[in-house]
Amino acid sequence: MSGSDVSVASGPQLADERAAPLFEARDLVKQFRSRRTVVQAVNGVSLKIPRGRTVGLVGESGSGKSTVARLALRLLDPTSGEVSFDGVDLLRASRAEMRALRRRMQIVFQDPLGSLNPRMRVLNAVGEPLSVHGIAKGKDKADRVVELLERVGLSSGDLYKFSHQFSGGQAQRIGIARALATDPDLIVCDEAVSALDVSVQAQVLNLLKELQAELGLSYLFIAHDLNVVRYMADEVCVMYLGEIVERGDGDELFADPRHPYTKMLVSAVPEFAPELADGRGRRSIPRGEPASPSDPPPGCRFHPRCPQAMRRCREEAPAMHRVPTGRAVACHLFDAPAAPADAEREASER
Amino acid sequence: MTQKPTLTDEAPAVRSAPKPPRPPRRLGVRQVLTALRTFVRSQPLGAAALLLICFFVFVAVFAPLVAPYDPVQQFRRDILEPPSGTYLFGTDDLGRDVLSRTIYGAQTSLLIGVVTTGVSLVLGTAIGVVSGYFGRALDVVVQRVMDSVQAIPGIVLLLFIAVILGPSVRNTIIALTVVITPSFNRIARAETLRVRQEPYVEAARATGAHAPRILALHVLPNLLASVLTLGSLIFAGVIIAESALSFLGIGAPPPTPSWGLMLSEGVRYVERAPWLIIVPSIALSIAVFSFNLLGDALRDHLDPRLQRRALDRVTGLWWGRRMLSRLAPSLSRAADKN
Amino acid sequence: MIGYALRRLGFGAVVMFLVTVFVFMIMRLVPGDAVSLQLQDTGVSKAEADAMRAEFGLDDPVWVQLWTWLGDAVQGDLGTSFYSGESVVDLFLARIPVTVQLGLMAMMLGAVLGLVVGVVAAATRGSMVDGAMRLFAVAFLSVPNFVVALLVLTGLAIWFAWSPPIVYTGPAEDFTSWAQQIAIPVIALGTGGMASVARLTRSSMLESLGSDYIRTVRAKGVRERVVIAKHALRNSTIAVLTLLGLELATVLGGTVIIERMFSLPGTGQLIYQAVLDRDYPVVVACTIFYAGLFVITIILIDLLYALVDPRIRSGKALS
Repeated sequence: MSGSDVSVASGPQLADERAAPLFEARDLVKQFRSRRTVVQAVNGVSLKIPRGRTVGLVGESGSGKSTVARLALRLLDPTSGEVSFDGVDLLRASRAEMRALRRRMQIVFQDPLGSLNPRMRVLNAVGEPLSVHGIAKGKDKADRVVELLERVGLSSGDLYKFSHQFSGGQAQRIGIARALATDPDLIVCDEAVSALDVSVQAQVLNLLKELQAELGLSYLFIAHDLNVVRYMADEVCVMYLGEIVERGDGDELFADPRHPYTKMLVSAVPEFAPELADGRGRRSIPRGEPASPSDPPPGCRFHPRCPQAMRRCREEAPAMHRVPTGRAVACHLFDAPAAPADAEREASER
Repeated sequence: MTQKPTLTDEAPAVRSAPKPPRPPRRLGVRQVLTALRTFVRSQPLGAAALLLICFFVFVAVFAPLVAPYDPVQQFRRDILEPPSGTYLFGTDDLGRDVLSRTIYGAQTSLLIGVVTTGVSLVLGTAIGVVSGYFGRALDVVVQRVMDSVQAIPGIVLLLFIAVILGPSVRNTIIALTVVITPSFNRIARAETLRVRQEPYVEAARATGAHAPRILALHVLPNLLASVLTLGSLIFAGVIIAESALSFLGIGAPPPTPSWGLMLSEGVRYVERAPWLIIVPSIALSIAVFSFNLLGDALRDHLDPRLQRRALDRVTGLWWGRRMLSRLAPSLSRAADKN
Repeated sequence: MIGYALRRLGFGAVVMFLVTVFVFMIMRLVPGDAVSLQLQDTGVSKAEADAMRAEFGLDDPVWVQLWTWLGDAVQGDLGTSFYSGESVVDLFLARIPVTVQLGLMAMMLGAVLGLVVGVVAAATRGSMVDGAMRLFAVAFLSVPNFVVALLVLTGLAIWFAWSPPIVYTGPAEDFTSWAQQIAIPVIALGTGGMASVARLTRSSMLESLGSDYIRTVRAKGVRERVVIAKHALRNSTIAVLTLLGLELATVLGGTVIIERMFSLPGTGQLIYQAVLDRDYPVVVACTIFYAGLFVITIILIDLLYALVDPRIRSGKALS
């Protein structure tokens, strides 16, 4: 979908988005070069995150989700594309501007213990953004950190502990407290709960939701677990090999997936597709594994695994199509009204 | 979502009278004692080594009080006296007391060891951290220079520098510093490359922290364990190198009491006065042994992951992690999982 | 693979060039040169001294000297000694055999004994034998090679009133005398290597004994002795080979002291004397030769690894 027109990037909630989204990425491309290979980690991703809402990003590991997270915060510089935050072009922002903007966008990482410096006390870990931006120091900093800790369900007793004294769930709360320290508008959650036990996951997710309601945060919520994304996200983008293949309203997208890849993902989760489980519908069982991003297949990147692949899919990359119910799908099946039937026929002939 | 979770986490959300605890002191007597106790428990051998080192330091610092005689005083009537009540370890060919010379020799060894190790530790770590963190062209240039210094076998380079500068304690220190700095550079750089990829460094960058802050608060504290461990092992190497240089007659000049010098003076009397060889040999070996043992223990104690660097010390070359990770890829992979 | 080999060779060339520059810089930056040293001894006049400097090219700027040297070196001319007037290459070739004998035997001694000790320690891990061997390994690492030599000498002198012959004879001329003279140096140079090899063998054997692969072999019912001898040991060989490669530098460094102690006419003795005499051409050639040997070893080890592990070749693995 590289080079697709910008307007399709706007999914549902058109009214909201026209009122200037908090965050916008256009046609992000990121290539990692090593001596012989070029890895296309992200290939033309566009995103908008409206204020106070959550955009979910799902996909298998290696689909480029985390790279998108780093590009969004400009922890990495994209090969091409644009990123803007609250109307400011991040790629053209000066160092000082960028530093000031970092107060307003934060990240929570996958590995809760790894994201805390083992040689730093909680006070300084959570208070680091305060020190970096000269917001508070000494007693003020300690007070503010205690406030933050209590906000995420920890207490002042934890102020002088080190990260190894905490469980994964607690460490993630500390990570969240650190992200909240500068009163940000946007928090990128990069697989923020993936490393936690299921019971702890739910608690952390609820905490994130409460914080959103209370502070009006926006989230870019990245996960490979469809359940988690559905619970959190207002809008969901499905990524496959560095491209967004389908986007739409969260619940609807999982209830009625359109793209063959989304169907595959959804049908693999029994809770989402009970009507498929009893054998009435056609169940697309996940097959194969994603190709290497250093050597993506030509045409539609999904075609080698797609049960409905047509000749065209092998040759031509599909564009983003807007389909009814506020959905956008990058698939040749939606090229023309007649296409789906053709495709099914061709698929069954094979 | 199938379950309806509520906020009853590991940590209760509400707590009565939240009074922040007093900040613990950074480095009090109690902290040091606790750290020592855990070290003694986990590494009894290392603790023994530490005790020996303390003994050496004590003897070296209080040499004038401990030594029975002046190390350079010549008792002309008691030449090559065997060990006895008067001269516990005998006398040498000039009638000097071997025990006193050995004790003052510890002073020379420790002085050179502390200064050399200290200077090259600071210098090498600074170079390695900066080079590793900023990378790119700077890194390439700096590392090639370090490679070439390390490509020359240590003793040859030492000989070269020491002879050119002339024999003195100061020049021995300069020569040793040149030879050793690349080792610290190498380990500091390797550790910086590791730490740089840790999520907490990325988190710091995401909050907008400047490089100096990241280096000082995140990178340095997390590589200190490795650097100190290497420091202990290097210290052992420095003691050996110092004695080798003075043995060859290009280290500390006579009549400085130095173990290497004593050995080279004693060679001529191997049959007549073996104590001239045996006493300084034992002192030298025990000192080196203690620092080696302490280094081993520190490595195991501070960070089990460091075990993979066993080779660095073993060769005395410290060619570094690059070689090592090739040496035992499975080892480093297993270690990374922990 | 060839590309990788070329890259490693390129790296080696860069390092060698830097070594040369480094050596020249130190040589010329410090006060005092060969001529002023000779001046002290013989009392030649200022004019004569200047003439000598001109003859040896010492009055040229450093970079000119460096360039001339490099140009000659490429053609196989490493210069002539200031003192004996002999060609450095000839001096070198005459002394290499002794050092090679010494180095090879010391390394073989270290490798064989170290492997045995390491395997025994690994096989009896956790036992008293293992503990004792580990402690002894550290102890052996802690006694410098010249001290080992001194202690052996002292012991032999006290108990057997025996000391090795002072004048070196080649093994072809008088084998017994040669063996007597070279035995202690070999032991002194070999012990450090032995301890290192033992430690590494033990740790890498334990590593592979704990691996899934060995667990599978065991699960198939293979006897423990075979597991250790055939599977675990084989996995450790490459690590040990690498160590021996690195040990080469230590042994070569050791020869400088040991050859002097036992007056063996090897390259170690040559470089020691040359450094004392400030015989620049010999010092430069020796230093670069030693460094070159080391760099070549490193490259060989790298290539060995690349053969075994394809990830290294593509440069993907291990920063």
